[in-house]
Amino acid sequence: MKKIILVLFALAVCSFASVIGLDALGEEQVAGGMASTAGRGYAGGAKTGDAEGLSVLNPARNAFDTKVVFNVNFLIEMVSLENHGDNFGVNNITMPSFNLSFPMGGFGAMGLSLWQSYASNLNEEVSNGKNSLETTIEYQSSVYEIVPSYTFRLPVIRNFSVGASAHVVMGNSMRKISMGPNTEGLSSEDTWAVSNAEISDYVDGTWEIKNHPAYYTAALQYRGHQSSFYFSYTTPHTLLNELDYNFRMSELDTLAPTKRSREIDVPAMLAAGMNFRFMKRNNVMFDIAARGWDKDIENIGGSFNMESVTETQKDMLLALGFQRDGSPMFYDPYLDRVTYRLGGWYKTWYVKDVYELGGSLGAGFPLGRKGTTLDLSFQGGKRFADSGRGWDEIFLGFRIGLMGVGNWGQTR
Amino acid sequence: MKKIFAVYLLLLTLVLSACIFDSDETVMAGWLSDQGIPGGYSVQTLSVENLTPLSSEVFLDSAPSLANDRAVLGKAANISHDLVFDIAFYDSVFFADLKKSDSATAYMALYVLSPFYSSKSYPSDSLPLKEDLTLNISWKLDKGASKSFVDSIGDISDSLWLSSLSKWKADSSVDTTVSISVSAKDSVMKISLPSALLTAMKKLSRACHLQLRLSAPEAVRTYRFYGAGTSQYPKLWVSFPKEKSYSEYDPFRMAHIVSNKESCSDCLVLHGGVYDSLVVEYEGAPIMKALSDFYGDEFPYMADDGDDVRQTVVLAQMTFARDDSQGTSELGLPIQVVVGSYTDSAGKSVRQMEAYKLNKSLIASKGHPNMVFYEGDSLTLQVTYGLRDFINRARDGRTFKMMMRLGYPVLQPKDSSYSDHVTSKKDTSYVFFSHFDHARYDFSSAMKQPSTLKLWLANKRGDK
Repeated sequence: MKKIILVLFALAVCSFASVIGLDALGEEQVAGGMASTAGRGYAGGAKTGDAEGLSVLNPARNAFDTKVVFNVNFLIEMVSLENHGDNFGVNNITMPSFNLSFPMGGFGAMGLSLWQSYASNLNEEVSNGKNSLETTIEYQSSVYEIVPSYTFRLPVIRNFSVGASAHVVMGNSMRKISMGPNTEGLSSEDTWAVSNAEISDYVDGTWEIKNHPAYYTAALQYRGHQSSFYFSYTTPHTLLNELDYNFRMSELDTLAPTKRSREIDVPAMLAAGMNFRFMKRNNVMFDIAARGWDKDIENIGGSFNMESVTETQKDMLLALGFQRDGSPMFYDPYLDRVTYRLGGWYKTWYVKDVYELGGSLGAGFPLGRKGTTLDLSFQGGKRFADSGRGWDEIFLGFRIGLMGVGNWGQTR
Repeated sequence: MKKIFAVYLLLLTLVLSACIFDSDETVMAGWLSDQGIPGGYSVQTLSVENLTPLSSEVFLDSAPSLANDRAVLGKAANISHDLVFDIAFYDSVFFADLKKSDSATAYMALYVLSPFYSSKSYPSDSLPLKEDLTLNISWKLDKGASKSFVDSIGDISDSLWLSSLSKWKADSSVDTTVSISVSAKDSVMKISLPSALLTAMKKLSRACHLQLRLSAPEAVRTYRFYGAGTSQYPKLWVSFPKEKSYSEYDPFRMAHIVSNKESCSDCLVLHGGVYDSLVVEYEGAPIMKALSDFYGDEFPYMADDGDDVRQTVVLAQMTFARDDSQGTSELGLPIQVVVGSYTDSAGKSVRQMEAYKLNKSLIASKGHPNMVFYEGDSLTLQVTYGLRDFINRARDGRTFKMMMRLGYPVLQPKDSSYSDHVTSKKDTSYVFFSHFDHARYDFSSAMKQPSTLKLWLANKRGDK
């Protein structure tokens, strides 16, 4: 465990992720960014079992659980941006979610997640030949959701469960672009006044849902002997991002900011998935989720020649995965107790003309005999930005999930 | 062991992939450019001509201040400087001796401020000073008897004591003339105290509180002394010639009281060495119009729920006409003009002293532009904080207000370090003379003439 933390710490010094949609919402952490789900290409929302944990897209899943499950996830992602043969890399570490599900026998199951659903993260310095000051660009924006959920199996048709969750949105957003002067427009006798005068375009604000405490997801799950299915619906909502804009020499400036609110209409999302189990411990699974964006997203923008809106498209995820469950028998060989995962996905982003194709490989390593699992997944793929100002991205992700399974509140 | 190996393998993989995903700054600059983020903010200058003040007013803080370090007595530049000594007596033997003696005399010994008078910057032909000084000596004498009385004098806080001096009502006062002789840097100025004071003290027996004030409103100059908090503090001597003995008492604190003797109440006169200021206020409309013409945008900015951050002031300076013949100075050195602006702080207007950015090439060739009593006919003062705040919040119809006052005399007007510093030869290079010049400068005519505001504006508007 210590070594894992050391590895995470060592990687935390480099820092991330996609730069597409930075000024809109940023990158979406699909399916809660869980390492186990990501290992099979984001498929498997319909797969039930104590080792699966909570799903933010399918709150009905854990009605069939018998054990308390705690799960925390980390993501390390490296991205190479490409355009006309040029490329540069950025990287990051983040914690997209942690989840707790708590079965209560005949009273159903409760769950609680903290999910970083969208994030803009970037921190880079660029030398500029025109003056001695570097340009620094920094984004720290997170749309966080606290997601309490409740699910129960239907009284007569016990193979079915229904569940619902509320997504309480919160979070902060910050963008800071610091740069020195471009003195090309000044006469030589006037340049002294701006020497070493670094100015920051600084925007910060908060996220919430407009006129409502939360948005909601409802789901129906079927668990069969071999096949499982789920269907979920997430309500449309309007994200409210209240922003303060400043253009300042230092943090000590007492300038009054321009205040502006941007409202982002997030449409309803439909998600469905199936899981087919064969040869006892082998599973194939397929998931689809779609959200029909119909309005442009107002950007943070407000500065220089940055675009004021991000055009949108239908946001859709198609995921196909395979998983071989590990043996639950402690005395089986260790490699037989490991869970193996494989998957691939195709995703259209909410940003117009941006498509993502990815594949993943994962494994869940049991730690000890009490059900604790270390999930690792490697992901790789490419995001295609076919129009606008976006660059293509080749990404390589590494996710770590820690899953703890316990018998809290259970009697033998 | 397998787990440890797996972790190391993982780390190795990530390090190798980090090499593949290397950053190229040139490429990144290209990405920034594609996102509409320039390599540097655009900056332009804008001059706003013919600004005339909406109002201009001088203020003098005549509240008494402590003079425990340096003390000034006399009159210069139409400002008179009085000194008050706070002395406590607790000595029954002294009072018994005083009561018996019919020949006792008393005087104050004041030690002249030798670093000032011995400085090369002090005009050498001014010494020796030999003149008769007309003095008004007044005092307040409170009778006491116990040690607790004396202790209670010490318990009076400085601020309370200074405040009480504003309402000075002497028990008695005497006009007298003393012969002054300041001939060398270690001169002592001896001021004989009136016999009426000793007569009053003879009525006391054990303790008393003496507050002694010296005024010289007719003086032709100021005299500078060490204060009560220095090693060369003033002393009150009481001499008993027949008994060939004397007693010495020290003031435990001193106060400095200034009063304005200017005859022209409308004149905009600043004085050196006192807390006075010239506050000048400008209407916002001409500046807003110039900005509007320059950018083609609406000024003041009224859109959105907030203030104007479309651009910011990197530097601003006001240039005034200057006529040094309207002033007088003691030392003949250039004097810096210190400037501040009124900016917003949590909804309140506060005075903020301005920073001074050095235009080194100009300073090397022509000297600092913010000095009076120097060659040239203009005075340029930087008001960056003020203009930055003003343009930011101009939507509420506010005015631009700035403040100026006379600072220290400048020894090296063409030194661009603008602060005392150690040279490569490990000598201290003094840029400023560390004593104020009791100068007088009349800004009345300068404020009647139009001034020019020059702005360096950083802009974050996109290309139109």
